[in-house]
Amino acid sequence: MSVVSRTVPSVPVRTSVETWDAIVESLTAPDQAARTSLETITNVAAMLIAEEYTRDAPIVVMPASGDRVRIYTAHGTAAIESEDEPPLATWPLADPGWRLSLPCGIDDIDDVRAALQPYPFVEVRDVTDGIAVTAASTPHAAGSISINYDELERS
Amino acid sequence: MSTSVRVNTYTHATTHVATNMLRSVKQIIRESGLSTDKIRNQWGVLESGVATWLGSRHLKSLVLEVYDPGKPAGADLVGRFDFTIDYTYYGDGDGELWLDPDTVSYTVRKNGSYPSRCEYRIVAETASGRPDVAGWSSTTLRSTAGFTRHSVGTAIGGGSLGAGLSYYTRSS
Repeated sequence: MSVVSRTVPSVPVRTSVETWDAIVESLTAPDQAARTSLETITNVAAMLIAEEYTRDAPIVVMPASGDRVRIYTAHGTAAIESEDEPPLATWPLADPGWRLSLPCGIDDIDDVRAALQPYPFVEVRDVTDGIAVTAASTPHAAGSISINYDELERS
Repeated sequence: MSTSVRVNTYTHATTHVATNMLRSVKQIIRESGLSTDKIRNQWGVLESGVATWLGSRHLKSLVLEVYDPGKPAGADLVGRFDFTIDYTYYGDGDGELWLDPDTVSYTVRKNGSYPSRCEYRIVAETASGRPDVAGWSSTTLRSTAGFTRHSVGTAIGGGSLGAGLSYYTRSS
């Protein structure tokens, strides 16, 4: 399985909310249902970006089919010195059944998991852990999805 | 202290200070034993207002009021934290972007924690003529009569901007 990686310049080039908006726009067409779903978790996602959890651990996007996408955010010097990367070749969330994994620090993880409980398309993982996303709760998938962390490390 | 980069635009400075003031307020809330639900649920509105008013130079301070809903109105303030903006902190406007979470932690340790029944709100003190930002409404800060203000020092800096942190404890 292939993995596509993108890094999005964040604070101070963009606020945390603007960063999440840029990520959503890179993953979805304006009229896609997935965009609405991602916009419903803006506050939580932006807070995680502000905490810079997404600097070293990616947001992992698992489409129903096709390449997985890992999205990092750049902060400070790295943000100022970087540029937006080319758009993805396809809209990875065009088909239902996609899932998302957000990294979170241990101080916030219980609260964030509780806050995102109503949104079965998103899972929260400890920023220090490897990546393993359980997908049993999604109406579009059954069983579990395991992400090969070694694969994610490949460029 | 984590120093990241020298600033080359005022916009970068305002974004850095706005987002990191909110991070710091959230840190105070969490380390004071309060729920972070409210600030997390309001994150977008808060960031938008603070960034806008820093950019327009109307923001005077960002205030975290902690109150006890079980006490009568007017006597329910139990603590307060202010991030006061200094628009000339770096005279040449070319200061580095930095955040000092240790100053925030020190402040919370000095202040102590609050009972979990306490609630909070976040208030932006602004100069007149500020642009409107969706989600914000006018209010009046609770009286700090009977409280003593303690200044801790600058906790966030960037460009020409500095955000000094102070807190209030009951003195009578």
